[in-house]
Amino acid sequence: MRYRETAFFLTLSIAAWVCLSVLAQPGASAFSYGEEAGKNESCLACHGDSAQVPKGFFIDTKHFNQTTHARIGCEACHAAVPATHPDGAKVARAGCGECHADVDREYATGLHVKKTTCNGCHNPHMVHSPKEISGQEINAMCSNCHNTLEMTARHGEWLPQSELHLRMLPCITCHTGSKEYFISMYIVKSKNGSMFGKQEVAGYDELKQMSGGKEIVSLIDKNRDNYVSLEELRVFNRSQNSLRLHGMMTPVSVSHKFEILDDRRNCTFCHTSGPALMQTSFIAVPEADGSYSRVPVEKGAVLDALYGTPDFYMMGSTKNGALNKIGLAIICGGLIMPVGHGFVRFLTRKNRNTKEHKS
Amino acid sequence: MSENSSEKKRIYLQPWPVRIWHWINATGIIVLIVTGAQIRFPESVAVLSSYKSAIDVHNVTGLIVSISFSFWFFYYKMVKNTLDKLYIPDEEDLKHGLVRQLLYYCFWYFLGRPSPYHASPDHKFNPMQKYAYLAVMFVLMPLVGLTGILLLNVTPLRILVLMWGGIKFIVALHFLLACSLLAFLCTHVYLATLGNYIKPMLIGWEDVEEHEEKHVEAPAAIPGYRPVRHYPEYAEMQHEQRQG
Repeated sequence: MRYRETAFFLTLSIAAWVCLSVLAQPGASAFSYGEEAGKNESCLACHGDSAQVPKGFFIDTKHFNQTTHARIGCEACHAAVPATHPDGAKVARAGCGECHADVDREYATGLHVKKTTCNGCHNPHMVHSPKEISGQEINAMCSNCHNTLEMTARHGEWLPQSELHLRMLPCITCHTGSKEYFISMYIVKSKNGSMFGKQEVAGYDELKQMSGGKEIVSLIDKNRDNYVSLEELRVFNRSQNSLRLHGMMTPVSVSHKFEILDDRRNCTFCHTSGPALMQTSFIAVPEADGSYSRVPVEKGAVLDALYGTPDFYMMGSTKNGALNKIGLAIICGGLIMPVGHGFVRFLTRKNRNTKEHKS
Repeated sequence: MSENSSEKKRIYLQPWPVRIWHWINATGIIVLIVTGAQIRFPESVAVLSSYKSAIDVHNVTGLIVSISFSFWFFYYKMVKNTLDKLYIPDEEDLKHGLVRQLLYYCFWYFLGRPSPYHASPDHKFNPMQKYAYLAVMFVLMPLVGLTGILLLNVTPLRILVLMWGGIKFIVALHFLLACSLLAFLCTHVYLATLGNYIKPMLIGWEDVEEHEEKHVEAPAAIPGYRPVRHYPEYAEMQHEQRQG
């Protein structure tokens, strides 16, 4: 009996010592899960500081705080963080499929499943929805594994202007089975401020500086109504020397079954789909946290030959109605002579017959 | 020069390089128009089996026509050295020739009067043809070719594309120029049926009546008469007035 009492008190005191030692650690409240407010701060106190944790464990607080994952909290995925953390032992983490079961199932049927897992493409601490990312960034993700030059050559075996296509389209436009598309425009900047320099996606800081510290969107959306009209596009295209808008045909819903779709090899999948798909467009404006916000653009802007973005054009599909009418008028002008003259020629044929007969 | 008005003379109007060039160009332009229509209106024009083949054929034909155009330019400018003389209208064409030719096509032709112009190897085109060909050969063809070459090489020629106002502007220009060429083609083929233009373009030779040549030279000798080249009827009228 006495032995049992001794064991009980000993266990209790060890437990109390463990609890006290945990509570005595700096930031130890992180491990007292259950509170909603401030639940990430204690993790980020170390993991948000690159000086305190190894490179692979650093979490960019600025980016992370904007993600959906930040809202559900660290412990939603890392529930089993031991009280002794950091002790060098691996911290358990939830599988993506536990929440994203649908995506997981779809991904399992695609080509990528044998090559990499979710975090091969997505950093779970930096995830953005497709709305918050530019097409170029999507392709930058793909080019981590797929060599751009090799891909250009392989597509070039069947795709005319493969370099142009690969530069102007997010890979997912053709390699996921979305039914609907919109045009995503993003701001590119020429190197050295020259109009003809190499263009790259303009970053938040330089655009912020160019807009004079105001919101970046005010570079295009002059009246700041969060809507870009054709007139505003016209002014932007004419007044900016180093900034241009690049358009990308982007899928509305991004599936995760990355595959080679035979119907996408048929040019007419995009090039005959008609102007309906080209009506909706957005400008992707970079935000401080590295994501992008979408500003809607007047419908049909990419179809407009004069005011819309000058570098977005899809043969066949981007037909400009006004140009077609002008073209038709020119051809009709060419038919005036054969039709009009030919008709009078037929009516007056006797005159020439008589003359020919006389001579 | 013979006085016998019924005698016919054969003149060598179209040398073989010009004829080969002309028919390569004609075939090429028709192929370009058809494939171009399929590229722009794929949902309603399906001459070739696939869109890609339309693009490939359009590109290859465009290059052939561009090269053949360069040969034509080189041949006339460097080999024959008659490009300017044949194609650039002179003061005479500007002052009288153009109006006269226009009047002929719009009125005199219907009244059964002969053409004020007769072709010779050094003066193959009437003033209206000169103006039309000047626009077509020195503006339309080079521009449609250059915009086509830019569109064929959008990525490597990016700076040029930007200098030309962006891809959309170039596409619009290429399309409108192509429409203008098609409009010209309709008029060109029709007008070829008015005169004796088709035969020399096929065999090179044209039969001309010898007596017409004399009118070309005669008026220059008449005092006070402002000579109008290639317009025998007008000269004859002037001559008769002075005689009467």
